[in-house]
Amino acid sequence: MNNKIIAPLIIVVFGLIVVGKSSLFILNEGRQAIITEFGKPVGEPKTEAGLHFKKPFVQEVRYVDKRILSWDGMPNQIPTKDKKFIKVDTTARYRITDALKFIQTVRNKSGAKARLDTILDSATRNIISSHNLVEAVRNTNAIIDKIKKEKAEIAEKVKNGQNYVEEGVTGEIEKIFTGREQLSQLIVEKADGELSAFGIELIDVQLRRISYEESVEKKVYERMISERQRIAQKIRSIGSGEKAKIEGRLQRDLRRIQSEAYRKAQKIRGEGEAKASAIYAKAFNKGPKFYEFIKSMEVYQSSLKEKTNFIISSDSEFLKHLKGR
Amino acid sequence: MSFNNGNNPNDFINDIDRMKNEFKNGAKFLGPLIVVILIAIGGFTSFYTVEPDEEAVVIRFGKYLTTTPPGLHFKVPMGVDQVIKVKTKRVLQAEFGFRTQDTRSRRTTYSSRNYRNESLMLTGDLNVADVEWAVQFQIADPFKYLFQTSSPETNIRDVSESIMRRVVGDRSVTDILTTGKVEIETRALVLMQEVLNKYDMGVRIVTVKLQDVNPPEVVKPSFNEVNEAKQEQEKSINQAEGEYNKIIPEARGKAQKLVSEAEGYASAQVNRSMGDAEKFTAIFKEYKRAPQVTRKRIYLETMSTIFKKFENITVVDPEIKGLLPVFNKSLGGEK
Repeated sequence: MNNKIIAPLIIVVFGLIVVGKSSLFILNEGRQAIITEFGKPVGEPKTEAGLHFKKPFVQEVRYVDKRILSWDGMPNQIPTKDKKFIKVDTTARYRITDALKFIQTVRNKSGAKARLDTILDSATRNIISSHNLVEAVRNTNAIIDKIKKEKAEIAEKVKNGQNYVEEGVTGEIEKIFTGREQLSQLIVEKADGELSAFGIELIDVQLRRISYEESVEKKVYERMISERQRIAQKIRSIGSGEKAKIEGRLQRDLRRIQSEAYRKAQKIRGEGEAKASAIYAKAFNKGPKFYEFIKSMEVYQSSLKEKTNFIISSDSEFLKHLKGR
Repeated sequence: MSFNNGNNPNDFINDIDRMKNEFKNGAKFLGPLIVVILIAIGGFTSFYTVEPDEEAVVIRFGKYLTTTPPGLHFKVPMGVDQVIKVKTKRVLQAEFGFRTQDTRSRRTTYSSRNYRNESLMLTGDLNVADVEWAVQFQIADPFKYLFQTSSPETNIRDVSESIMRRVVGDRSVTDILTTGKVEIETRALVLMQEVLNKYDMGVRIVTVKLQDVNPPEVVKPSFNEVNEAKQEQEKSINQAEGEYNKIIPEARGKAQKLVSEAEGYASAQVNRSMGDAEKFTAIFKEYKRAPQVTRKRIYLETMSTIFKKFENITVVDPEIKGLLPVFNKSLGGEK
């Protein structure tokens, strides 16, 4: 009895669910959808997330990413315009701006990756190899001004007689005209035109890594090493130079001090003696004869030693009374 | 329930009927039980907690609804509302050129062996430097972080590497190795944020920290050599200065001594001369009064002192000839 009502009810509900399920679809955030009717795209792509309707059974939904997607390239060995071999590793970000075109031309992300690989690699190769290496390394010429300023400071120091060793690592500093950012911008411009055919908009290309090719790297290292060694030697030699200077100063000062002292001492002695001799002369000039006599007496006393054998003539002044004359 | 041998079909039908009855009785309770279970499940799945370091993004039918702060929240169950929790308060770290291996022990260990390709970069003067750094970031907008880009962490890493190379690429290797670190950090932070803002991916860079900036491994010893040379230079200069300081003060003292001695000598000379002169003047004064007698007296007195010193005085009369034998006798044995 009950079954007569319940059975159709279940069928109706089931039918409604099936129809609802095939006429409603959920579009998640970060995605966009294209509705196709028997494989043919219908209307504009849906980009707003939420619940959407479609004709049941006849229409199908195909989802495409709406987010910014990343592309990671394989490191590429590229010679630069100035014939330096470098490895360039780029990454890029892109967005699917035309979902329909995207689906028609590349179907899915892996299809897109294959196109991106070829287009971006060739654009990168093209741009890098038509510029000098510095253009891919530096962005501004600020370094040139800075080095100029440093050089001026060093020159000032050297002029002031300071012993200065240029310790910095030398390198090649050329003026740049394009610069790193501009280079990646050029790659973007070059590739973006081609990619728009696939419904892809390139947001940016980042030169993630740029490194020397191994043999070049080795040479750079060798140069750095030999330069360091040269600087070390220079520092050492300046050290021994400074040492010699000090030693020289030592000898000079020592000699000067000693000789000056000698000179001064001699002068003082001489002056003393001169003064003394003047005093003597002044005094003795009063009675030169008497001086001669009295000095002789003194000298006899002091110069004749004890225990001297002395032979004296009895004619002498001293003994003249001995003979009773 | 009764047990029989099972051959009676009536008994079997009876059993089925009885089971039907029992089931009908049970169904009376089963209906409500299922409803209770469904409500319980619905109840449990319609609440969610957000931890203190998180925020939750609520998606309804695939569309972003709201972002909820920490606490207990309600959502529509049965897959209508989807909740994605994001650690927005936590400071996340991306490391370049090294990886933190172990922070559990007292000392954090790092490994940097295998990340050379991340850390080696060309400098503005086309040399190579080994730069290790870390970027700390926070998720500022969880919804954008989740849905604006397909792989936010890859983007952060890519941009960070690219920007760090750009910043380093604009400086000389000397600058990078010595003074320019803070400047590099701040510059990299600003530029990274700029690029990430362009993607509008809801990330805020907190800091960019240079961990270790070195010359490449192979070149390192030669850099050390320069440092050693500097030490040596300093040492040899110090030694020489030391020697100087040891000798010169002493020499100055000695010079002073020499001069002082000379001064002593000079004043001695002068004083002696003055003394002698005074003595002479005094004697001469007396002498002038009675020259003959004084002269004689002095002579004789002197002679007497002299003669006292002599051991052996031979008085010879000039008239006596042939003195030799006498001398032989008196002088021969001496000395």
